[in-house]
Amino acid sequence: MADSLTLRIITPEKVLMETQAQSVQFPAQDGLTGVLKGHAPLVAALDAGVLSWKGSEGDQEMFISGGFCEVRDNVVRVVTESGEPVSEIDVDRAEKSAVRARERMAGKNIDFDAAEFDLVRAQAALRRSLMRQAAGRRTRR
Amino acid sequence: MAGIKDLRGRITSVGNIRQITRAMEMVSTTKLRRFQDRTMASKPYSEEITGLVGRLCKVLGDEAENQPLLQPGKGDRTLALVVTSDRGLCGAYNSNLLKVLEKWRKDREQPVDYMVIGKKGFGYMDRRDFEIKRFINEPILEKTDYRAASLTARSLVREFLSGEYSEVVLVFTAFKNISKYIPQVVSLLPVSPDELIGDDSGSSAGTLLEPDATQIFESLMPRYLETRVYNVLLESLTSEFASRRFAMSNATEAASDMQTELRGMYNKMRQEKITMELLDLVGGVEAVK
Repeated sequence: MADSLTLRIITPEKVLMETQAQSVQFPAQDGLTGVLKGHAPLVAALDAGVLSWKGSEGDQEMFISGGFCEVRDNVVRVVTESGEPVSEIDVDRAEKSAVRARERMAGKNIDFDAAEFDLVRAQAALRRSLMRQAAGRRTRR
Repeated sequence: MAGIKDLRGRITSVGNIRQITRAMEMVSTTKLRRFQDRTMASKPYSEEITGLVGRLCKVLGDEAENQPLLQPGKGDRTLALVVTSDRGLCGAYNSNLLKVLEKWRKDREQPVDYMVIGKKGFGYMDRRDFEIKRFINEPILEKTDYRAASLTARSLVREFLSGEYSEVVLVFTAFKNISKYIPQVVSLLPVSPDELIGDDSGSSAGTLLEPDATQIFESLMPRYLETRVYNVLLESLTSEFASRRFAMSNATEAASDMQTELRGMYNKMRQEKITMELLDLVGGVEAVK
C-alpha cells in the first residue's frame, strides 16, 4: 500500500502486531484520536480502550489496557501492557473482575497486604474491565 | 577378595549420579533457551519505553529535574533489591553474587535495607546481619512475569518516595553471553537523566504531546522502572540456567571420567582374582599327582 502507515503493537512479552494500515484510531487520555499518513510527530498517553485500524483486511480492532502511543515518520508505535483482539474478549471474566474491583473499592476482600491496596488502582481495574466488557459485547451482536 | 564388591557398588552409584546430572543439564538447556527467547521478546518494549523517556526528558529539559524520581531521596538509608536463585546446583552463581554484595556493603557508609528474591540469597543473608525488609517469594521465581516485576518495581518506588531512602540499587547477575555472566550492583533510583537521553538521533522538536509532557512523563516513569526490573529478573534467570547448565555438564563429565577409572580398577582386580584362583587350582592338581 502506497499511502499507508506502519502499526506496531508492542507488549512486554512480545511484539503483538506489525502491520500496514491506512488509518489508526487510538484511545488517548484526552479522547479518541485518529492518525493518517503524514501525521506530525506525536506522543500520547493512552487509556484502556479499543484501538482500531483500517488495513488490507478491512477494519480491525484490539483492546488495549492503556499505555502510550508514539507517531513518528509514519510509524505508529503502541506500547501497552496487554492487548487482545476484541473478538477474543471473555465477557464473563471481565464481569468477574469488575465485581472484584468494586469489592476492592468498597474495602472488602483485601487479600494482599494493606500497603499494596490502592484505591486508584482498583478504579483503574474497574475501568479496564468495564471497557473490555463493552468492547466484547459490541462485537457479539 | 575385599573391595571388588565395593567397587561394583561405586560404579553403579557414580553412574546414577551421572544420569541425574545429565538430565539436569538437558532441563537447564531448554529453560535457558526459553528465557533467552523471552529476553529477546521483551527487547522492543523496553527499547521503545526507554526511547520515549529519553525523548521526553529532552523536551522537558530542566523541568525534568523537578521530578521526584530524578532527585536523590530525602532519607539516609539505601534500599537494595537482591536477585538470587531458588534452587542450588548452579555452580558459583549465588556465591559470586553474594561476594559482590558483601564487598559492596563493606565499601558503603550508609546503612542498607534489603529486599530479597530467591531462597538461596535469603538463606544466606538471614543467617548474617543483613537487614532484610522483605523476602519476595511470590510468585515462584521461575514463573515470574511482567506483572510480578511491576509489583516489585512499584513497591520499590513507593519505598523510595516514602522518604526513608536516598537511593535504590539492584544487585543481580547480568547476562552477557552463554558463558559470561557478571554479578553487579546498579542504581535504579534516582534515575539520572543522562542515562536516559543516550544516543538518540531522532529529532524530538515539534512533537505534539497529549496531554502534556509532565503528565506523560509521570505515567511513563513507572513503566520505565517496571521494564528495568523485569529485564533484571529475566537476565538473572537466564544467567542462573546458563550457570546451572555449565555446572551440570562439568559434573556429568567428571562422573564419566570417574566411572572409566573405576571400571579399569574393577577389571584389573577381577583379572587378578581369576589368575589367583587358576594358580590355586593348578597348584592343587600338581600336588595331587
